[in-house]
Amino acid sequence: MLKTHGHLFWWLVTAAVVIWYSTITIYVAIRGTADVREMLKNLSERKQP
Amino acid sequence: MTHFDWLVDGPIVGIYLLVTMLAGLAVRRYVSRVDDFLVAGREMNVYLGVASLAATEFGVITCMYTAQAGYKYGFAGATPGICQAIAMLVIGLTGFCIRPLRESGARTLPELFEQKFGPRIRRAAGIVIVLGGLLNMGVFLRIGGEFLVVVAGLNPDNLEWTMTGLLLLVAVYTILGGMLSVLVTDFLQFIVMSLGLIAVTVLVLWQIGFGTLVGTVETKIGPGGFNPFIHPELGWKYVLFQLLLNTAATLTWQTVIARVLAAKDSATGGKVFTRTSFFFVCRFLIPGIWGMAALATLAPLALQNLPGGLSSTDSSLYAMPTFLATFVPIGLMGLLVAAMLAADMSTDSSYMLTWASVIYNDIVAPFRWKNWTEKKGLLLNRTIVALIGVFLLFYGLWYQMEGDLWDYLTLTGSIYLASMSVLLVACCYWRRANSWGAAGAIIAGAFFPAAFLVLSKLESTKEISAAIGPHLSGILAFAGAAAAMIVGSMLKPQARN
Repeated sequence: MLKTHGHLFWWLVTAAVVIWYSTITIYVAIRGTADVREMLKNLSERKQP
Repeated sequence: MTHFDWLVDGPIVGIYLLVTMLAGLAVRRYVSRVDDFLVAGREMNVYLGVASLAATEFGVITCMYTAQAGYKYGFAGATPGICQAIAMLVIGLTGFCIRPLRESGARTLPELFEQKFGPRIRRAAGIVIVLGGLLNMGVFLRIGGEFLVVVAGLNPDNLEWTMTGLLLLVAVYTILGGMLSVLVTDFLQFIVMSLGLIAVTVLVLWQIGFGTLVGTVETKIGPGGFNPFIHPELGWKYVLFQLLLNTAATLTWQTVIARVLAAKDSATGGKVFTRTSFFFVCRFLIPGIWGMAALATLAPLALQNLPGGLSSTDSSLYAMPTFLATFVPIGLMGLLVAAMLAADMSTDSSYMLTWASVIYNDIVAPFRWKNWTEKKGLLLNRTIVALIGVFLLFYGLWYQMEGDLWDYLTLTGSIYLASMSVLLVACCYWRRANSWGAAGAIIAGAFFPAAFLVLSKLESTKEISAAIGPHLSGILAFAGAAAAMIVGSMLKPQARN
């Protein structure tokens, strides 16, 4: 897994994809929940006269 | 033969579908104006935008053609993803075009064009966008169904009914909740889709290994599998076309731009772009890895025993699902199928809504009665979304695809990408640009891809189209649209004041 097999560029890109995507999924899941709540709150406030 | 187990994997898929429907329907009560329906009241923040953009731009069809690229071209098949990631990062950081677009307050690109080029160009641009987009979207349903046939062992005779049911689910929440439902369901779908993609990729790298993938590409594809410039089927024309195409897609593809238009402000839109940019490398490389794993492990005759009724004549399209059907274990298979359904549903809902927004805002607008109430506007929008669903059902399920899927998608997409990107750049940054140049760019941008499609369909001209190739015809579309914009704008007499 840790050997580059003579293709450092593609090894780095593959590693970056797995690490970045795993991290961003967790981060977006948390921050996105707050965004959804805020969006719905703003919309319901706007609807009230 | 598949590892999909209805008792273990079936409930995982069922729970996902139920939760998505409930979430999509729950937010419909917040929709009271056309702006809520089309751009979520412009209340979208950064991370919701990241989730929505990523989920929309990754469908089953994306997974199929990017895996096919990995199977045929190795790591070099991920080149379009790298091109789009670079384009999106640069555009997000600089605000190139997207800042003036968002600050204009327009709901769609053609609405912005009207400010510079007049109402006729707005309608013409709307028609080109809708035609290009809907043709592009036409193959989504069938390919999604074929993925399920191969991976989950779905009976091919039930493909149409299954996909009709799935489209109905998507249509119901999109018609009722518009962009709000799309954003909320996209968010859930992003999480499910990402979990499935990551889990299967880690399993592939763990069990098959990076070294095996590299060795397979070296043996079966050669050095071109690592470098697109030296691959005999790719080369500089392919790379240049991908760079142009993906930059144009980032700037003008209605589903991408819809996230900028729904953002709170132009800075938020830019942040959504910069923070999603690397996802586009994942979008190509993850299915590409699955495709390379298929190349490494499938027996030579594996693709000759595919289920009947599959549409593509190129069996390499089905290498990845054939591999996954027996590689992914029971339990994880449920997550994979749920992930792919999530990917497909988020793409379908967003595509239906965004093309509907152009039809409503730019094509039907001149025929609407003045002083229409918000209620009537919402009803018309919902009707257009429903009609697009009907179109998808018939055209999408009955269309018989031929040749390379990615070439088909890029060509139908470039029918409008070339002209619209030229119009957008000229609209934002060239004072001299005018309606003559815009009309010329629309005609030239559509001419080359359309002519190539016609040439490739006629027996007598097939050889000519093969000699030109899809990449050169795409480059010509961009060059022709830019030249037509310059010449047309210079020819039109300037107003004295």
